[in-house]
Amino acid sequence: MKYSILIFESIHKVMKAEKILAANNIKYDIIPTPKEFSADCGMSVRIDTSVVNIELVKTVLLKNELNFQVHEKK
Amino acid sequence: MIMKTVDAKGKLCPVPLIMTKKAMSEIKENESLKILIDNDTSVKNVTRFLEEHGMKVHIEKTGNVYTLVVNKTGNIPESTKAEDYCSVEDVTITNYVVAIQRNRLGDGAEELGTILIKAFINTLPETTATPKTIIFLNSGIFLALKDSPVLDSLIKLEQSGVEILTCGTCLDYYKKKEELGVGNISNMYDILERLSQAGNVIYP
Repeated sequence: MKYSILIFESIHKVMKAEKILAANNIKYDIIPTPKEFSADCGMSVRIDTSVVNIELVKTVLLKNELNFQVHEKK
Repeated sequence: MIMKTVDAKGKLCPVPLIMTKKAMSEIKENESLKILIDNDTSVKNVTRFLEEHGMKVHIEKTGNVYTLVVNKTGNIPESTKAEDYCSVEDVTITNYVVAIQRNRLGDGAEELGTILIKAFINTLPETTATPKTIIFLNSGIFLALKDSPVLDSLIKLEQSGVEILTCGTCLDYYKKKEELGVGNISNMYDILERLSQAGNVIYP
């Protein structure tokens, strides 16, 4: 399975992203930010790109003025 | 005469082996050594280590603690590497239980606790040492329902051999018996048995 890991500026932004994704019926998981992407004890949003169109996710989040980085992870 | 005792409780391989080797070198021939261990893997490894050096090991189990008694009838050469006897066959499933008593992690802001418990459960399938059993109690049961945000991770854990038990009384109380999404409905007898037999219990 291939995943996209979305990293936000703060936990508050992650929570906002969760609400938006849920409201748009987009499937996501909350995971601790993988150590290879950040040394912070942060939370990230994981999108299973085999079932969810990542471009749609990006569009929806950007429309809501959320900034994030996207990393690929197997 | 007081028997020399090695307390290796809470220690993982190769520490019990190294402690045993050191203690064996400190006692005289025909004296006995008592070794206390609380995990199956180390019991096997220490027993094999002593038996391969020509000694008989007597094992007794009380609760979660094994008491090994060995009479020094053989000699362990100084050059023997105790850590070579460290086989960690049980590394993928270890003897710990996660008991989830509510649908949040820790005290404090509710929305933070909600996000933390999701991250906690989603991390479990990624660890090399998954728990033996995960138990859901009280409002923790909501995490095991069909609409749980962590259902996929729990299904993955169950498929890899982790036992998932949910408190039947709690499902009944919240009227969610029909909505259980993973694992089995359980009762206090089974739950208490799992908790009491665990090496460690984690209450997130």
